[in-house]
Amino acid sequence: MSISLPPVLVLQSVSKLYANGTLANDNVSMEIAAGEIHAVIGENGAGKSTLMKLLYGLEQPSSGRILLHGRVCVLRDPRQAIAAGIGLVPQHLQLVPSLTVTQNVVLGSEPTRGLGQQLLHSRAAVQAVSTAAQRFGFQLDPYAVVGDLSVGARQRVEILKTLYRGARIVMLDEPSAVLSEQEASALFASLRRMAEQGLTVLLITHKIREIRTVCDRFTVLRGGRVTGGGNAQDFSDAAISAMIVGRELSATSSATLTRRPPGQNAVALVGAHGLTVKRADGRVVLNGVSFEIAAGEILGVAGVEGNGQDVLAHVLCGLRAPSQGHADIEGVVFTSRGVRRARAVGVAATPEDRLHDGVAPAMSIIDNAMAVQYHQAPLSRRGWLDLAAMRGLARSIMARCQVAAAAPEALIGTLSGGNMQKIVLGREIASAPRFLIASQPTRGVDIGAAQVLHEQLCALRDTGAAILLISADLDELLALSDRIMVMSQGEIVAHFPAQQVDPGVLGGYMTGALRAAAAAALLASPFTALPAPAHHEEQA
Amino acid sequence: MSESTAQALIAQQQRRQILQQRWRLPLVILASLAVGFAMTAMVSEEPLQAFLTLLTGALPRLQWSPEEGWRLLRMVRFGAVIEDAVTLTFLGLAVALPFRARQFSLGADGQMFLAALAAAAVSLYVPGPAFVVLPLVFVAACATGFAWGALPGVLKTRYQANEIVTTLMLNLIAIQFYRLLVSGCMRDPGAGFLVTPLLPDRLILPLLLDKTNVTVMLLLAPLVVGLAWLLLMRTTWGYEIRLVGQAPAFARQAGVPVERAMWLSMACGGFFAAFAGVHVSNALLKRLPVDLTPGLGYEGLLVALLARNEPRAIPFAAFMYAYLRTGAQAMERTTDVSREVVLVIQALMILLVVSERLLPRLAEAWRSLVQRGAR
Repeated sequence: MSISLPPVLVLQSVSKLYANGTLANDNVSMEIAAGEIHAVIGENGAGKSTLMKLLYGLEQPSSGRILLHGRVCVLRDPRQAIAAGIGLVPQHLQLVPSLTVTQNVVLGSEPTRGLGQQLLHSRAAVQAVSTAAQRFGFQLDPYAVVGDLSVGARQRVEILKTLYRGARIVMLDEPSAVLSEQEASALFASLRRMAEQGLTVLLITHKIREIRTVCDRFTVLRGGRVTGGGNAQDFSDAAISAMIVGRELSATSSATLTRRPPGQNAVALVGAHGLTVKRADGRVVLNGVSFEIAAGEILGVAGVEGNGQDVLAHVLCGLRAPSQGHADIEGVVFTSRGVRRARAVGVAATPEDRLHDGVAPAMSIIDNAMAVQYHQAPLSRRGWLDLAAMRGLARSIMARCQVAAAAPEALIGTLSGGNMQKIVLGREIASAPRFLIASQPTRGVDIGAAQVLHEQLCALRDTGAAILLISADLDELLALSDRIMVMSQGEIVAHFPAQQVDPGVLGGYMTGALRAAAAAALLASPFTALPAPAHHEEQA
Repeated sequence: MSESTAQALIAQQQRRQILQQRWRLPLVILASLAVGFAMTAMVSEEPLQAFLTLLTGALPRLQWSPEEGWRLLRMVRFGAVIEDAVTLTFLGLAVALPFRARQFSLGADGQMFLAALAAAAVSLYVPGPAFVVLPLVFVAACATGFAWGALPGVLKTRYQANEIVTTLMLNLIAIQFYRLLVSGCMRDPGAGFLVTPLLPDRLILPLLLDKTNVTVMLLLAPLVVGLAWLLLMRTTWGYEIRLVGQAPAFARQAGVPVERAMWLSMACGGFFAAFAGVHVSNALLKRLPVDLTPGLGYEGLLVALLARNEPRAIPFAAFMYAYLRTGAQAMERTTDVSREVVLVIQALMILLVVSERLLPRLAEAWRSLVQRGAR
């Protein structure tokens, strides 16, 4: 690939100071060449999203200039950005589920025909969409209804939409966050094809692996500033991660966290037996899920989102009653009894949607830290709150999880995602649970915070608690889990020892390409056979 | 952008924000006064005089005469301000409590009517010395208010009945029930109109200010406000109410009894509305007329909004509201401004004060105007 081409997009000393005093971008300069895939990488809060908003006209820079094709360009709103050939594929896809692929792609700029160009030219639209899809190697049926498509396919629709509107520079915000391994590879292949045809791709990500696999060049942001960049092939993972966090990570967190020695202590602390949930409309969203977790063990749950993991988490923490089956801790059944009774026997949970289900953003750290224990001594006695005890609890959680916040009185909504999540997990650990359901514990948090969160999870495991780890991040699952079960369409479709499985195999089961018959994740359940060369069946 | 300039910029923005916070209320009040005056100027021959009446009409006037020395005149008017402020404080609490749990309960009216009825009934029909019956009056009123407030809460948590609809309907029922009893079995046959007999003197709350109806309720009000604040900020029930109001999904996830917090907040609202009921029956009117005007509950809603549902701010908001209302009445009576215009001015001023985002917007518009001018 030729980087000698003139840069198509240049940022000159761009700074963005928000009204609340946050300096989100500080003197950012970068050059992006036509036909390259350029990654912008950094921790959460490093200023990646702000940079993207500046380029898409959602925010205006406080100082500095943006040059497009060598000319200064002022983008007042997204419409101007689109007119200038810049497209954005947002992280949370914005499509109309009831419309077809074609209708979604042309929405807002439909080809027309007839009297006064008032009629929708459906045939031309389908034609245009399928031509574009073929050109970039997208597998898409123009007539398919978007609501029926997988997340990966929807993302391709979103990309097509930007291309259809004439984008020459396509920005993608954390595109692989919601994809399985296979889907991500397919996406990256398409991106490569787009680049080969002269389009420029700007990839916003916090995964180092993606830089190495798909990108030509990268720019690292930390604290709003550019801390490095260059050709992706010239740097090692360790060097890039040093640029991202500003310090060499001792090693990947996985290596430092010791696992439970296999075969030991194989007595179930927590057991789930045939958990089934049938929705009111008759759809079975959870089907006969059985698993056991020993004390001091982490059972990982892999799966593409929306395959029953969230329902399973809700059932286990007591928010939802199963239609059949039950779960227990040492024989004491805690499902179907409400959240408070489940918590009383030692169940705790960190929810997937932190801002909505995990905190009250407009309340203080203190108020958030005590939410699961406020009704017990020492936080309250006979209905009266003990302010000193409340503050003490918040302080101890902040200290244990290294939360960066001014004071326990600060509103939790003002903290970064990582610090917020530390308090959420710290709160659950402070209630001394025997069984923790951790849903996406490090989603959207930076590397530093993720490391603290992983250490806390392992510390809890080492006290003898059982942990169910539900995560879309395969690296995290492989690093922390002792065993992994794969869920697809509400069922367990595979069961592996975490040391002996790789992301590719998991991906095959996650996407439904493979499935083991009558799989379960009991301690005595056989492990699913791995494909060659390691072809052996094991007993735990 | 260098380190120091960035820091200077941040510091400047923070200073601006602090200034905005500090000056927000005075500036907004000033702006509302300006709008009010502009309106007055459009309809009045003597706008200055008329507007001064609006602003100072509620105050007592100090007058010197050689025979009697210094005298305070217009105490009745100022008394009305205090009386209204006390009633509105209780009604403000009655609305603010459910609002803190994000329950849009509009039932303060009905709760107050039934509580007044209960207070009057106990006063009229329970014999005994005042120190026994008077507490009973309060207990009966509060229990009635609590129960009538809990009803829509239970309807919501049990049957998913929208609380806005149920509280409005329950208001109608309460008011008609009140009228039924006052014009029926509680009617004073000796009176020329539909009204209950006068309550016994020993059960009328002791007077604090001559020529007014300002009673010991004025001293009780701060205590009740303190009680509401304690309930919200220092008890587990209050914590549940606040948490459910701020983040219901999170509260559910944390195992908080969300349904209880919902109905309890509404019931507590009724409890506080009951004090307004006792104030009406055993202090202001001393008997209950059939035509007691409904609608006070909605003024309680305004007071709660002005105070942003913060119990400690409610007495001040109630006083401000009552002061403005009495001034408006004085303006209407003594100047050439008609009642309709007075109401419009009053409404405009309240509108401006509750517009939270008004000032930042204005400042933004001003700054961009200046910038454009500079270019």
